[in-house]
Amino acid sequence: MKRLLLGLTAAAALWGAACGGGTNFATPPPPVGKYTLASLKGQYAYVTNGETFNGSLSATPLARTGSFTADGLGNITGGVEDVNAAGITSLALQITGGNYTVNADGRGRLTLDISSNGVTSSIIFGIVLTSTNDGLMIDETSNSAQSSTGSGNFIKQTPGSFAISTVSGAYVFDFSGLDNIQPPNQGPISIVGQFTASNGPITTGVEDVNDNGAFTTAAAVSGNFAADGNHQATLTGNGRGIALINGSQYAFYIVDSSRVRFLSISGGMLSGDAVIQNIVPPATLSSSSFVFIVAGSSAKGGVTRVGRFTANGASLTNIVLDTNNSGTFTKTGGTGSGSTFSNTNITMDQANPGRGTLTFTASNVGVPFTFVFYLSSATSGVIQDISHTSSGVATDVADGSIEAQAAGPFSASNITGTYAFNWSGLSIQTSGNFSIQDEEDVVAQATVSNLSLAGAADSFQFFDGIPVTDSVVSGSITPGGAGTGADGQRNTLSVKLTKSNSLTVSFVVYVVNPQLAFFANDINNQGSTRIVAGILKAQQ
Amino acid sequence: MKPKILRIAVPLVFTGALALCLCVAAQQTAESNAHRLQAYDLRREVFLLGTVVKYQTASAVPPMGAHLIVQTSSGPVDVHLGNAKVLHANHLELNAGDNVRIIGEDLAFDDGTIFAARIVQKGAQAVAVRNTRGFLLTPASTLSPDQKESLRGVR
Repeated sequence: MKRLLLGLTAAAALWGAACGGGTNFATPPPPVGKYTLASLKGQYAYVTNGETFNGSLSATPLARTGSFTADGLGNITGGVEDVNAAGITSLALQITGGNYTVNADGRGRLTLDISSNGVTSSIIFGIVLTSTNDGLMIDETSNSAQSSTGSGNFIKQTPGSFAISTVSGAYVFDFSGLDNIQPPNQGPISIVGQFTASNGPITTGVEDVNDNGAFTTAAAVSGNFAADGNHQATLTGNGRGIALINGSQYAFYIVDSSRVRFLSISGGMLSGDAVIQNIVPPATLSSSSFVFIVAGSSAKGGVTRVGRFTANGASLTNIVLDTNNSGTFTKTGGTGSGSTFSNTNITMDQANPGRGTLTFTASNVGVPFTFVFYLSSATSGVIQDISHTSSGVATDVADGSIEAQAAGPFSASNITGTYAFNWSGLSIQTSGNFSIQDEEDVVAQATVSNLSLAGAADSFQFFDGIPVTDSVVSGSITPGGAGTGADGQRNTLSVKLTKSNSLTVSFVVYVVNPQLAFFANDINNQGSTRIVAGILKAQQ
Repeated sequence: MKPKILRIAVPLVFTGALALCLCVAAQQTAESNAHRLQAYDLRREVFLLGTVVKYQTASAVPPMGAHLIVQTSSGPVDVHLGNAKVLHANHLELNAGDNVRIIGEDLAFDDGTIFAARIVQKGAQAVAVRNTRGFLLTPASTLSPDQKESLRGVR
């Protein structure tokens, strides 16, 4: 999942990172696989969302977007990044060097040396390759200059596309983070939409905004893309420029003509991607199944929703949804939930291709679930929760991804091979006698065989201040029925991380296809200790 | 069903509209009441006066986050404070025996309700833990201009 839960804290009873003498550490077996240093070669656009802790400051929300160049030999030869810490921006910071490792299993460590105000210091990431073109990452920086965490990913750029003219055509986008209202009334914001750009100007567009619980529906989008006048060379060198979208400025990084990455720089703290909409999505969905996941904030705390449905015209069937709202788990649809649905409907917006809304009322939930989505193709898009009370006030601010679900069944025969996974969110963390909630990020690789997991992970429970590297991963996936959820059966995932201590987290997992799944933590015996969600992706 | 928590709750806004709202609400079904309490609404705010019985920076009992048990004249109230770092950043310490004033409101939660605090006041110090739309604040809400400026060095 591209971003973390906003707003809150977390913390958790941890498997200790303590390094006391005589402690027995579990160590993963030597990595095996096909990856080498040469698997990471070229320019990659990266994003992370998380927190930073600087000396006397409390943890502050942090988002960054940048581009680094790897030489295929373990060296970082250059790059640039933009940083937004709760609205305070640092623009076009130069990546002056660094290094990286890649194990055979795709796991490794990436160090970027970054110059700011004449001082160079390093930020460090735990990474796992999902292919030679992309990977997942968590921020593991914990040094005298900076402590920061967060989750994100990196995607290989096409340097030949580094021109404003590349950003042409229709794109679907999802930006989320903190709005530009000054504290103490700053709040979470989600913007999903579609725009058409043509060699600079944004000619048309439409967006849906949930700003701190207030909706703006199907509003127009205008703006433009341009080189950064203060850092002109970053366009041709790194694919970087400045976009103006509905009055807000963003630093952007071109991956290629199909994807652009954004970070707001003129107030608030938003980040996200725009993905080409080169195939006009259908005006009506016909027997199409989708898996979706959203994460964000409610008035009670962090919230995640992960589920699936089948659409056929206006009909919405086989709905299954799992919600974690600040530690309270609600299951709607499917076996054992005891809930039934009414007022189900899905509508494609004929005036705005790819835009649609869906709604359903569950008998065990007080408010109808309502979502707006934008498809970039028939099989993929972004989705925003617009559920609201009868007086029109949003119940939460949350968004995420929606993906067409393959027919299935999903079982040991096709969920097999090597996978990368990442989760992010909040957990209860303890230091000494003091517990608090704070951010938790995990990046891992595992081989799945007979639905059992075996691999290694890095994790950072931020309150500890020390990332835990190379934990042993074990666990299992348990498909329910055919594994699609259409039969009402849920899949579960159990992951155990072992270092000096161990931690087991239970998840509900929705399989998009054998190469991709979304998951969120589920009820377990640990009480309300965690609100996390993540992605499981096959390595290529 | 969780037992309904008793409390002294004084409406902050004595408007005709609120009075009408309360009157109408009394006639609504439990389901519609739950609907009404799914989002924070300033018009429903009340305040609690009481004494701190227990303060937890992180509770395994949902909602996740800091909880405060406040003894009011009507009984104990479980107050959800959200992010304890916000209180810490504001140097607000809460200990058993402290007299506090909490502005907030009930929100539907699980099969009952939770009292969601927006402002916690102890003595002359008042700290906002939620914004006016009820979303929990982060410690970033407490940063001074100098602290904000220091963030420019973050990579």
